[in-house]
Parts: sequence; structure tokens; C-alpha cells
Amino acid sequence: MSDVKIGAYICKGCGLGERLDTAALAKIAEREGKAALAKEHDFLCSEQGVAMIREDIEKEGLNRIVIAACSRRAKTEAFGFDGDGVAVSRANLREGVIWARPDTEEARETTQEMAEDYVRMACAEVRHMTPPKPNPEAQTHRRILVVGGGVSGMTAALEAAKAGYEVTLVEKTGALGGMAARLHRRVPDHAPYADPQETGVEQMIREVEESPKIEVVLNARITRTSGAPGRFSADITTESGQTRTENFGAIVQASGFIPYDASKLPELGYGKTPDVVTQLELEELVRKADGGPIKRPSDGKEVRSVFFVQCAGQRSDKEGHLPYCSGFCCTASIKQAMYFRDQNPDIDTTILYTDLRTPGYLEDFYRSGQRKGVIFTKGVASEVRPADGGGAVVRFKDLILDEEVEAEADLVVLATGMIPNSGVDIEKPERREGQSDEDYQKALEEAKARMGLNPGEESVLNLQYRQGPDLPKLRYGFADSHFICFPYETRRTGIYTAGPVRRPMDIAQAIEDATGAALKAIQALENAGKGRAAHPRVGDLSYPSFRRDGCTQCKRCTVECPFGAIDEDEERYPVFNESRCRRCGTCMGACPVRVISFENYSVDTVGQQIKAVDIPDEFSEKPRILVLACENDAYPALDMAAQNGIHYSPFVRVVPVRCLGSVNTIWVTDALNSGYDGVILMGCQKGENYQCHFVKGSEMAHYRMGKIGDSLEQLQLEVERVQTYEVAITDIERAPRLINEMEQLIEKIGMSPFKF
Amino acid sequence: MSDLNAQMLERYRNNFLEEVEANVEEGEWVKMCMQCGVCSGSCPLGPYWEHPPQEIFMMIRAGKRDEVLKSESMWMCTSCYNCIVRCPRGLPITHIMHGLAHYAERLGLAPKQNPTRRFALMFWDNIAKYGRVNEALLSLKLYFMDGFSTGIKRALEMAPVGLGLFKAKRFNPMALIAHKGCKGKKDLQKILAKAREIELAKAAKFGG
Amino acid sequence: MSEPVATNQTILVVGGGISGMTAALEAAECGKQVILVEKSPSVGGRVSQLYKYFPKMCFPTCGLEINLRRLKANRNIRLLTMAEVTRLEGEPGDYTATVRIRPRYVNENCTACGACAEAVEAEFDDEFHFGLKKRKGAYLPFTMAYPQRYVLDPRILGTEDAERAKAACKYGAIDLDMQEQTVELKVGAVVWATGWKPYDAARIQPYGYDRFKNVITSVELERIMDPNGPTGGRLVRPSDGKEAKNIAFIQCAGSRDRNHLKHCSRICCMASLKQATYLREKFGDEGKATIYYIDIRAIDRIEDFYARVKADPNVSFIKSKVASITEDRATGDVILHGVDTEGYHRYSNRHDLCVLAIGMEPSVPADQFPTELVVDENGFIQRDPANGAIFAAGCSEDALDVNRAVQSGTAAALKAIQVVNRVAGTEG
Repeated sequence: MSDVKIGAYICKGCGLGERLDTAALAKIAEREGKAALAKEHDFLCSEQGVAMIREDIEKEGLNRIVIAACSRRAKTEAFGFDGDGVAVSRANLREGVIWARPDTEEARETTQEMAEDYVRMACAEVRHMTPPKPNPEAQTHRRILVVGGGVSGMTAALEAAKAGYEVTLVEKTGALGGMAARLHRRVPDHAPYADPQETGVEQMIREVEESPKIEVVLNARITRTSGAPGRFSADITTESGQTRTENFGAIVQASGFIPYDASKLPELGYGKTPDVVTQLELEELVRKADGGPIKRPSDGKEVRSVFFVQCAGQRSDKEGHLPYCSGFCCTASIKQAMYFRDQNPDIDTTILYTDLRTPGYLEDFYRSGQRKGVIFTKGVASEVRPADGGGAVVRFKDLILDEEVEAEADLVVLATGMIPNSGVDIEKPERREGQSDEDYQKALEEAKARMGLNPGEESVLNLQYRQGPDLPKLRYGFADSHFICFPYETRRTGIYTAGPVRRPMDIAQAIEDATGAALKAIQALENAGKGRAAHPRVGDLSYPSFRRDGCTQCKRCTVECPFGAIDEDEERYPVFNESRCRRCGTCMGACPVRVISFENYSVDTVGQQIKAVDIPDEFSEKPRILVLACENDAYPALDMAAQNGIHYSPFVRVVPVRCLGSVNTIWVTDALNSGYDGVILMGCQKGENYQCHFVKGSEMAHYRMGKIGDSLEQLQLEVERVQTYEVAITDIERAPRLINEMEQLIEKIGMSPFKF
Repeated sequence: MSDLNAQMLERYRNNFLEEVEANVEEGEWVKMCMQCGVCSGSCPLGPYWEHPPQEIFMMIRAGKRDEVLKSESMWMCTSCYNCIVRCPRGLPITHIMHGLAHYAERLGLAPKQNPTRRFALMFWDNIAKYGRVNEALLSLKLYFMDGFSTGIKRALEMAPVGLGLFKAKRFNPMALIAHKGCKGKKDLQKILAKAREIELAKAAKFGG
Repeated sequence: MSEPVATNQTILVVGGGISGMTAALEAAECGKQVILVEKSPSVGGRVSQLYKYFPKMCFPTCGLEINLRRLKANRNIRLLTMAEVTRLEGEPGDYTATVRIRPRYVNENCTACGACAEAVEAEFDDEFHFGLKKRKGAYLPFTMAYPQRYVLDPRILGTEDAERAKAACKYGAIDLDMQEQTVELKVGAVVWATGWKPYDAARIQPYGYDRFKNVITSVELERIMDPNGPTGGRLVRPSDGKEAKNIAFIQCAGSRDRNHLKHCSRICCMASLKQATYLREKFGDEGKATIYYIDIRAIDRIEDFYARVKADPNVSFIKSKVASITEDRATGDVILHGVDTEGYHRYSNRHDLCVLAIGMEPSVPADQFPTELVVDENGFIQRDPANGAIFAAGCSEDALDVNRAVQSGTAAALKAIQVVNRVAGTEG
């Protein structure tokens, strides 16, 4: 650390000069913060201000910069000196101090103390930061592996190829095309959205086969995948047993869906008569008819009437049914009814539905179906039974006419849903020793919600990851992102799902989805090659490293990493795959011996900030409250509170953290040991609807803090002195309130006895 | 059962919707209904409908031929056009209601005692005869359609209105005896007769 | 952000809402040069006006914060705000876009200290809050607005307010002489993401949006729920500020209707289900929601959200397109009239407030694109080879929810990358 040279810049603009004694702040930066130089400036973010800093960096050889001005969220571009061997820390004097405090004479002293501490903290932080450099070992293979040769997989392959990337497309069957190849026609995606259109699958297959950039491997499976973005290694094993190993930069998993097993619906007549078929089976009947009249399976009689039962085994909480809507089936039934009506308008077609779901432009397709004479009946089928002389009788409640009725048809089509083919459940609960029955049952139920009807018998990717061979499932077996804003967010960096394995979808959506997934794959391998992190800390060059001689091989980091980025070597030491890492620091928070760190974010960069704060003595009536705030939500909430003129306690010192998951309990115990009176952790919502950007970080923090009671007891401190909250970015009123409540609590229970 | 009714039944067997499409004015629109019910809710006479329009459309699709054609419901329509204006699917509901009523009448299924139906017939006779409505005569007939005593009662009830109209020169009792009708009413009658002939021929072509 | 020179390897993204921002960021994070053009003074678009997202009930500003951080950190993106593409000519790999930039009257010196807003007296309807609130003539569009720079309303120009604003600024950030600018940019491909606007509710005559104070739109309700919004997050009705504990939601307000928008706007069912939960959030058991619908379109796995809302005994569903609304003048209550079509039941139901689940229409009318584009009857841009290297993203393409819009933006980014890679010769 000998070559650290800190320059501290204190802005006097935006009222800072009037509200604070900036000269004193500069002095503190020099004397206590050991800054080589400290300057005040009237308007630091101005061209001149920025130029001044740049000049100092060049002429004075500064490599650590402290900007004591506004929040790190403001003027980010102006103060973007990082990189090239320079690290920056921002002391938040505007949003964090003067805007959070009333402009009164009484408040002046404590406000100044607040600002002084933030200057001390920024100097301490920056001193312990190392400007991150990309890992010199970063490399990348530019070939993309696409698993699954259906419409989604073929689209991903074609779109990546069109962008200039080479692709290996692995399909487990003997032909490309997937489910869509079994269709006669598809639902239109082009105006006027009136008629079924060609599936386009044949053309797509031709394009794939003709593309010089795409290699197709049929009858093959992925029997092993290891590595990380930029350097995946996969074994591709063909049916004949031959295996080859190849390197890839990224993976698109388009493993599609498994059609729902209609034999689970005997009440709807499936299996009782061949004249009750699924939508997929009807497609086969239509293809078999080859333009001629469509015949019913039982006796080959020409079909004169068809009855479509929507939501068959779907949208239902019955055992063995799908609780979700598969999304494509309403329009598929309309399309199929058109097969009949277009051929012969004398054929009666009825669609029995509860909610007809034709979103967006597909409403036009619904209208077209009506125009063609397809009958739509709102009702619920209770029974389908074989009719005398072929066909079937549907018993249903007509919800509009409010009566139980029966209808006979030559053919009954069940609109059954899709089950994602997403591999095995990597979080499968195993009975742990000492686990109560109740807990075990709960775990089993969670697994059921997670996996749905996905059999989970065969792995798709066979990942050689510490956390299991496939992608984590979100719900009902879908390997989807849990983020509304980030549908491609994946918990296995560099591996993106596309198509119905991600969520239920039709062909049009699958094509778009696969195109997006192809982009993400390209992005992942490009960034891996530069040693840059993937979403959400895009471009972050730092990566975790650990001190091998201190590691106790406790495996917490490998188990708790939300992204399964850490493996174990033969000696059971952690192996950090940096291009799989998302730089959240959950491993750092987990490590009981504190050997994990990032160059610019470590136990020290935060620990030293905590220590840098001036702790007044017990009798000063000036408590100190430490807030460790998630930089994504809680920290902006506090900024915005101040921006909106909401004030809070001057005794608080806020440290932004990458994720609450990165909070190491040592920070909390050290803070309490050194005389802080209270500690508040503010992270994102955890649990089922988690909002934590690092999936499990906030949850881990809550769990860890739940156990800190012992440490507090040892210190003979009240447990209330440490609080962990879920704070949303909109909590601009609540977040300051939580701080003020801590101040009141301290007033009640008294100051910490640990002041020195 | 009228001949026409028997023929239609035979022809369309169970498919009432097709029958409506072929024989009812604007009947081909019935299939376009999506059961939102805005027509039923928009009708100023709504509460009087046994089966509101959207339900009638569903009944047609469900093949409830008798229930629909013998229903009094579509006779409730007063042609305010609220439903047409609001229908999100653009169904000409007013016209369909009249079409259905008319078709039921042709089949002889319309409820004989329905006052709207009777009024409609009286109105038609009246206007076809004079080429212009003889209001006095029409009112008189309307009052007395259920017999003499109810007629007197109704006439007395309406007397103040009649007097008001008379004073405002909107009503001329002399028309009871001296209504001239329009010019060339004989020619009009010829036109109407011819129109009827064409219509029947068309129906005959359908086998009706 | 820096200022890359636009070349035919640059991607132009039109529209800084979630779709456009996503397209820009995804492309830039692949290493591509991007110019992002936004019409209003800040990015974020419609989603920044939402209180919560379905089905997670999380906050849109949370994702916005992440996207803004990505934007601030990315040197491949150049952002132009208050800018509109007025002409677009050329062919794939070689387009010339003419961009008109309106004056902000505030330059980059602005520190967002807020002194100008304090000095200015004139107030105007706040667009961000759909006019439910006033803002000053010098203003930050919303708390999280990016660029974090104030704007002067052109209406205060030439008034004393303009001088007051100028005098109040210590940083020389107010530039009253700023002129409209027109720049020409050379780009290789275009992502068109101009999004949607709420359908004009006043045109749905029987619902009396323009006559009854307590008939509002779904987007307005989002503002009312916002702690920073016109009511400070209190769920109260406009007429008298009374708590709105009994709310009617009318689905397909403007959608699926040949008198208005023919298409289904996809999101409105989920939006109303979401908003129905606001009642429980605010009033517990005292809150009651009634949803008047034709078909509930809770598509794909978020069906479970519908199931959850349906299980709430305080939320009821009536299959009916409401025929008309009347107002009880004495109380301000609204009375909804119509027929429940499931078994034919007439109703005249009284509610504190009626929320119209308003439809989505494309922001740019079909005849006002700066270049010829293949659009469908509803005004959405088609995926059509005739559109060359102009790719629609988000609600320019179809009525989409946020998740789908982001998916669409990501896909459009790749389509654009393919074109610029071809130009660069990196494609084989």
C-alpha cells in the first residue's frame, strides 16, 4: 500500500459551502485521512473542477480520489476517474448530510460532525481499495452451444450466426424442428391475423442446414458441461455412444416442453374413446388427411362436428393438473377450428372456454374465427364420455345460459398444456438429520411448487457445478428469471434459457425470446473475454479472490453463492470462476474467516470505514448508528428521502454495500465493539417474491443476522441494537423513520458501554 | 305448426344459427358476439327483457330455436340504437332484433298477444293503406284492441293528452272520418304488393 | 458516457422507455456504439410512472435504478433527451436520421440543487402525474429523473420567472438563449421503441371520464398510490379526498372495441388484479374491489396471481362490459349499470371510485413515422423485411407487458447488431 496517494476534493457547491465548514473537512482529509492533498472547490463537477482533478492525477501522481460532494448516484460521469490505476470514493455530503438535516443553528454542529465522518470514511475506504484490473487470464471461445433443435433453438442458432458467431446446435432426436414440426399450420403473426399460416419450420431447418456457421449434431445429448462463460467445455454424446468435447463461450438452453399427459384426464374421456384427442394429436390427424376431409380415429368417419375443451387439466389446483395457463391453447384451438371450417363450412366447431385469451393483435384472430363461424361458448366441462356409434358427449355447464347441458360431437379436442423440459431439481430436498417432519414436508411442498409436473428425471446440461447439474427452477419447473425488468437474468451466468422451458409461450414469442437469448449469450462471452461482470454489475472488473492459507474449507461460500459460481477443487478449496461470478459479495459475507475479498470491495474497505468514524464518549449524548444499506434500493431510498426534504438523525453513518449478502458479521460485531450504539441493515425483499438483485443475498443476511444474538449476548448488549429490515427503493418515508426509531430506541435503552 | 316453420326445421335440423344467418336480417352478425353484455345493459327497456340481446345470441348459438322465436324479448326493442353504438364488435343489434321478430312472425311463432307485435301489425296496415299514418285511427284501434270497455278506459286516461295535442294542433279528430292519406296511395299499394311478391318469391327459392 | 461519433456501425435507438433503454444497454454491453434518443427530458418512460409491477408487486423504480446505473457507467451510449427523430432515410447499414433537439434552457452545469425551482413562481400541470398535481416552471421531471438536470418550461420564457431562475442559479446552468437544434446522424440500424400512450378515456362517452371526478384511469391510480404522488400515496378519490374503499375496475376500457382500439391491450387485466391488491394494502378487510371483465387474461404462469387475487373474498368479478356510469351528485359516488352475463343479472352498483383499465395505443400514429414503415391496422409495427434495418421493440411492436417488452427490446438489439456487424465485416 506504499504507493497509495490520496487526493481529497471538497465541493462547496449546492449549499455545502454555506452549511459546512469545508476548510475543516479538508484538514480532516489531510490529517486523519492521510490525503496527500485536499482541495476545496466552489463547483467541483464543473468542467474546471473536473479538469483540476485530472491535472492533479497526472501531475501529482494521485491514484486514490475522494470526492466529498454529492451522492455517488449523482454526477457519476463527471467524477468517473476510475480505471487506469485510479480508485474513487464518494463522500455523500449533499444527499447524505445537508439535505438530510435541517438548516438550523442547533443542527449545525451535528451536521458538521456527520460530514467530517463521511470524509474520514471515504479516505479510509479509498486507501484500502485497489483499482481493479481485468483478470489477465480472461479468455473467450466465441462459439455458442445451443441445446435443443426446435423453433427456439433453431432461432437462437440462426440469429447468433447472423451476428457472426459460430454455433453448435445439439438435438436429442434424429431431426430438427421440435414440436412445431408436428404442426400443420401455426397461429398468424402477421397482419391481417385472419388465417392460420405456414409454420415456417421447413424453411428454418433449411436455413440452419445451409448456414456455414452452424453445426448440427442430431441424436445427441450433453453429457457433461463444465467451465464458465468464455470457457465452457461440453461433452456431446451421440446415440451411438460417441463423445466429443468442445469449448464454448456461452450456452442457450432451448430444451422445450413436454406435452401434458392427457391420460391423466379420464373424466374428459381421454383414453376412453379414440375420438377424444389432444391438440397435438389433432395436428397429426390433419396432416394425415393431407388436404382431404379430416376423419375421426374410431371409425374413419368424416368429422362433421368438433368440440374443443379449453384449459383441459390446466388452470386448476387439482392434483395432477397444471396450475398455470399455457398461453398458446386458446389461439391454437381457434386455428384448429379453422382447419375444419376453411375446408367445409358445414362442419360445426365449438370452443368451450372460461376466459378466451387472445392478447394483443390476436384479438383479430379471435374475430376471424367468429367470422368463420366458430362457436364460442363460455362454460366448464365436467365430463366427456364416448357416444353410442362413435364420437363423444360433452357434459358442461353453460355459464352464460346458466345450465347444465350436453353436446355430442364426432371429435373432442382437449387443449392440454405444456410442461417445461428443464432437467432435474437441483434443490431437491433430502431428509436431513434432526429435521422435523413438518420442515421436511414443507421442503417437499416447495419442491413441488418449484418443479410442477416436470418429471426432473434427466439432466439437460449435466453441469459439473458444485450446486448441481441443471439450472435452478423458478416455479412449476420453468427455468425463468424472477425479475420483471430482466427476463434474461439467469442464476447460471452465460447460460440462457429460451422458449417454453423458460415460461409457457407460443411460436411467435419463442422466436423473439430465442433472439433475445442469443444476444445475451453473445454478450456473456464477449464480456467474459474482457474479464467484465455480467448483469447487474455490468462491466465490473473486480473479482473475488481468497487467501488460501487462511481458508478452513468450510464450504459456506460454495454453498451460498446465489449463482453457483464457486466450485471446489480436489483439496476442497473453493474455486472462484470469475466469469460465472456476479460480484455481489455474498461469498465475502459468508466467509467466517474473512479470507475472501474483491480488489475494490473487501472486509477492509468497509471495516475501515466503520473504524474511521469518530465515536464520542458515552456522556456526549451523541450516539452512533451504523447503517449498512443495499446500494440498489435502500441507499437510493435514503438519497431520495433527502432530495424530498425528509430529515433524519444526525447520528447515523451510512455505508452502501453491494448486496446485504456481502455483509460479514464481523462488521457488525466490530462496530458494536468499537462503541456504535446501534446497527441497521437495510436490504431488499426476500422470500418468494424476492426483489434482491442477487437472488439470495438479502435472505442470507437476514439468516446470518438472526444468529447474531449470541454475539450480542456475549457482549452483554441488547439484541435490539441490531436490526435487519427489508427496504424498498420507494421507502423514502420509511427508511429515515427506521433510522429515527433506532435513535429513539438508544435513548430508551441507553448508550453502548463500549465507547473508548 | 306453419308450413314455413316445418320447412325451416327440416332444412336446418339442429343448426339454428345457420337458419338465423340465412333468414334473419343481419343474422350473419350473431356469431360475432363475444358476450360482453354491453347491449343488455344499455337498453333503456332492459328490465323488461326476459332474454336480453346478448343472451339471445347465445341461445341462438345453443340452438334454442323455440325459446328464441317464441320469445317476447326482441319485441321489446324500441330502436333507440344505444346497443349498436356501444357494441364493441359492431353488431347491428337493433336490426337483428327486428329481423328476429320479423322472422318469428313469418314462421307464425311470434307470441300472438304481444302488444308490440299487434301494434306493429296495426301500424303496418294503417300506413300501407294510407301511405301516411292516420294517427287518430291508429290510436283508436290501439285503445280498443283488447275490447270495448278497456278501450273506453284507455281513451279516458289519455283524454288530457289528446286535448293538449288538439290545442297544439298536433291532433285532428276529423281525421277519423276524413283522412285522405298520401297522394297516389293506390300506386304505393301496388309498389308494396310487388315488394311482397318479390320477398315471397325469394323465400320460396329458399324453400320457405 | 462519452460522445462517440455516429457512423454506419452505430445503432440508433428511438425511445428511452424500458424497451428502448433495454435495447440500448444490451447492445452497448455487447460493445456496440449506441445513440439513444428520448423525446421527454428524462429516460424511464411509462414504467417510471407505475407504482408497482404485477405479479411480484415490486417497484419499477428498483429496476430503473439498475438501468440508470448501467447507463451512467456505459461509455458506448450517447443519450439525447428532448429529442425527436424527424426524418429517417437510407437503407440497412446506411441510414441518416435527422434529430430535432428542443431547448432545455438548462445546460450540463446543472447540479440539480433545486434553487431555480424555488425561485420560480409559475406553476403548471405536472405531466408526470397526469396533471393531478402542479409543478414549478423550473422542474426536475421526477425524483429519479435522469439526466439529473432541471428543465425550464418554455412557457416561462420571456417572463420574470425566467430571469428569476437564471438569477438563482449559481452555476451558470440556466441558458435562456438556448435554441432548438437539428442534427443529422449516420447510423447503421435503428431500434424503434417509442412505446404507447393511454387511450383517451374521455372518448368512452358512457363512462363519463370527462364528466365525473371519481372516474379515473388505471395509470392515474398508479400515481395516486405513489408516496411521491399527488396524494402522498393516500388512496383517496378526486372529488372530495375521501378514502376510496370500494373501487370498481372496468376492463377493456377502450380495448377490444371497434369504436376505440380493436386490439386487446394485454396488460390491463393483470393491472387491475394488481390494483385490486392495493385496496387490501391500504384498507385491509375494509377495502373492496369489483372487477368488471369480459375475459380475464392472466396469461401463462402468472395465472397464479389471478388465482391468488380471486381467493380474496373482498375482490369480486362480474363478467360484464359496463354499459354506463352515472354519478350520485350528493355523494360523488359513481353508479355502474349493466348486466352480469353469467346467468343474466342486472346491476346498478355504487362505488366510491371507478378505475378504467385503459387501453394501450401506439405513441406514434401510423401516419406520423419519420419514414415509411409496415404497420398493422392497430398501428403496431410489423416484423417485415420491408422495414429494412428498422426494428420495432416493446409496445411499438405489440401491446406488451414489461417482461415481454424487455424481451422484445433485447431481441431487437440483436437484430440491429447483426446489421452493424455486417457493415463492420465481422459477419462471415
